[in-house]
Amino acid sequence: MDFDYSEFQSILLSSTKNFLEKEAKGLFREIENTEEGYSPQLWEKIAELGWLGVLFPAEYGGIDGSFVDMVLLIEEMGKALFPGPFVPTMISGLAILKYGQASQKEEILPRMIEGKLILSPCLAEPDHALNESIIEEKVSTRNGDYILSGTRLFAPYAHVSDRLIYSADTVQGKAIFLVDTKSPGVSCNPLDSIGGDKACEVNFNAVEVPESSVLGETGKGEDIIAQMNEWGALAESAYIVGMLEQVLKMSLEHAKEREQFGKKIGSFQAIQHQCANMAMDIDQAKSLTHEAAWKLSENLPSTKEISMAKAWASDAARRVCLMGVKIHGGTGVSEEHDMQLYFRKAKASELAHGDGDRHREIVARQLGL
Amino acid sequence: MDFRFSPEEEKFKEEVRTFFEREAECVSAAKEEWDSGLGYGPNCWNILQKIGGKGWLCPTWPKKYGGLALSYMYRYIIMEQMQYYLNIYSTVGAGMAGPVILSHGSEEQKDQFLLPIARGEIEFALGYSEPQAGSDLAALMIRAEDRGDHFLINGSKLFNTRAHYAQYHWLGARTELTEPKYKGISLFIVDLKTPGITISPIWTVGKTRTNEVFYDNVKVPKEALVGQKNRGFYYILEALDYERISTVSGIERDFMEILEYVKKTGKGKDPVIRQKIANLAIEIESARLLALRVAWMLNNEKIPNYEAGMLKLLVSETEQNFVNTSMQIFGPYGQIRKGSKWAQLNGKYERNYRDSLESLVTRGTSEIMRNVIATRGLGLPRG
Repeated sequence: MDFDYSEFQSILLSSTKNFLEKEAKGLFREIENTEEGYSPQLWEKIAELGWLGVLFPAEYGGIDGSFVDMVLLIEEMGKALFPGPFVPTMISGLAILKYGQASQKEEILPRMIEGKLILSPCLAEPDHALNESIIEEKVSTRNGDYILSGTRLFAPYAHVSDRLIYSADTVQGKAIFLVDTKSPGVSCNPLDSIGGDKACEVNFNAVEVPESSVLGETGKGEDIIAQMNEWGALAESAYIVGMLEQVLKMSLEHAKEREQFGKKIGSFQAIQHQCANMAMDIDQAKSLTHEAAWKLSENLPSTKEISMAKAWASDAARRVCLMGVKIHGGTGVSEEHDMQLYFRKAKASELAHGDGDRHREIVARQLGL
Repeated sequence: MDFRFSPEEEKFKEEVRTFFEREAECVSAAKEEWDSGLGYGPNCWNILQKIGGKGWLCPTWPKKYGGLALSYMYRYIIMEQMQYYLNIYSTVGAGMAGPVILSHGSEEQKDQFLLPIARGEIEFALGYSEPQAGSDLAALMIRAEDRGDHFLINGSKLFNTRAHYAQYHWLGARTELTEPKYKGISLFIVDLKTPGITISPIWTVGKTRTNEVFYDNVKVPKEALVGQKNRGFYYILEALDYERISTVSGIERDFMEILEYVKKTGKGKDPVIRQKIANLAIEIESARLLALRVAWMLNNEKIPNYEAGMLKLLVSETEQNFVNTSMQIFGPYGQIRKGSKWAQLNGKYERNYRDSLESLVTRGTSEIMRNVIATRGLGLPRG
């Protein structure tokens, strides 16, 4: 049993904290309304710091770290609301590492780790009942190449990505394609959303994709998607944990400063008990996330644990941010204060890679129901 | 980061488990007796003495006092198994009175009490609460007057749960009228058969017996005082600190029973029930992780302060939520008591639902725990 961080993790944590404090203060607000939605300069810097290679083997330029390392790193990003395509690039890169051919890995991973390639998963098909103007879904083959047409939604930062991970149904079943964003017929439109995450609508209009771009086995696409969603759910849980720790910190600072009825509001039990509940909630989300990351790192079965973490973190995200707003009172509602940024981003993270209900259902299945 | 027991700890856990499996008959008789709410009877004493004989009631104590000089993780492992098999995870003697005697008691007290505690031969009833002193324990009023060669005790105690079968009262009494109040409290070990003590039952909604204890001119020898006079409140807090380990193995065991029930009855197809079951599994797992962390902290000489408050809060609230949800899963059948053919799982959860209230209010209510977390853990100012 060991709940301490390793020496490497302690160094990683303190350097991450320092970097984010110096570089990421106010970044979210600054970046949110830009076209890119992230800072290319900082992206280069985090590549230099090795963040993009945490989970990848040294042969591709990575640092052979573990999922626990990644989770600790992402928690810090969550605290700072560090914006950008980190999680989508990571889970796409991991899919290439796990399912890709040697040539795909060699082509993509080293450059991804250097910060030269951004990746985005385009896996969600639109609900056909909701919109008529989407491109008709079509998969055909010509001379061994695939011709893909269709619309995918909520592809994070697809508009600034270099490669897309696109899923489509072929005659042999679901397949995953690695597609160059510059291919003719690809268009990406960022959707304006509550968390400013640049979730994109991606349209494929008769895009020619060579057979060699298939990732993993044709027909096994569902497994790859499920796996990517697990990694994504874990990463989002960590981001949520970080955000909520920051929300609690801000709320406590406010409660210790703000006076009403001639007293610090933090001395009122009404506020104290809510803060205690927030701390409890965050603690639960954090230990579930760490356990899941540890199991994944140790190659132990972790599907249930990841869903436990994301289910709890998703709901805690909403509960804790709501209390954070209430403790801040009018300040918490104002545009000017950071509280509202966390409140909005928490909702996006709650919904990303499955909300609480979705993950409780996975837990139920894992329990044999 | 590592969420596993070490190979040695795993081996030990297996040894403890094997012991309980081998003693199955004795174990199930003791559990049934304990679950009746009446406290220890012959079967409980029997199994406690077997556990004590192994050195497992006080595994962290020095060997000369019946312990094994093991680390806290071993105590956690034993408590987990005890709770799983018996629903009894420790004794008051082993968990609270003993450690204070060990650090503050006289040599005579150590010699008289520690070995019998470790061997499971004696038990203590906590003598803290009074009608006007619950969460505000420092307000206790029972008087212990220093009469030179003895103390004379007058007053009453409330909700002293083990008083009808424990041999000794672990009594907090006022030895001085002081301001602040906590500076005039002393701790005593009182033989509950001393003339002048009357114990009368109070029944909880869970049909667990607790007691009122009346002291009417009770003469107690000077040697009954634990540690220094007027330092009792500090010892009381310290004793609470010793008993920080908590486990969820009993809840996990019952959760598996409910899960099987849901599978067998086909209720597992209902999406509402699937959500409820999953949520319980998650909550229980989060409580287990915190329990492990607190045990690990103790094991590594880190002081779990607000974490212990969190653990107490989380485990008791999780238990309550678990039995409440179980009742909901049974639907209207859930209300039917043991004895009817319509009672589900022998009406166990109808009783547990009532009994689960107790852990929400003993050893500090959930609200007191939230105060502790807010002030000690989060640094919020006291009101």
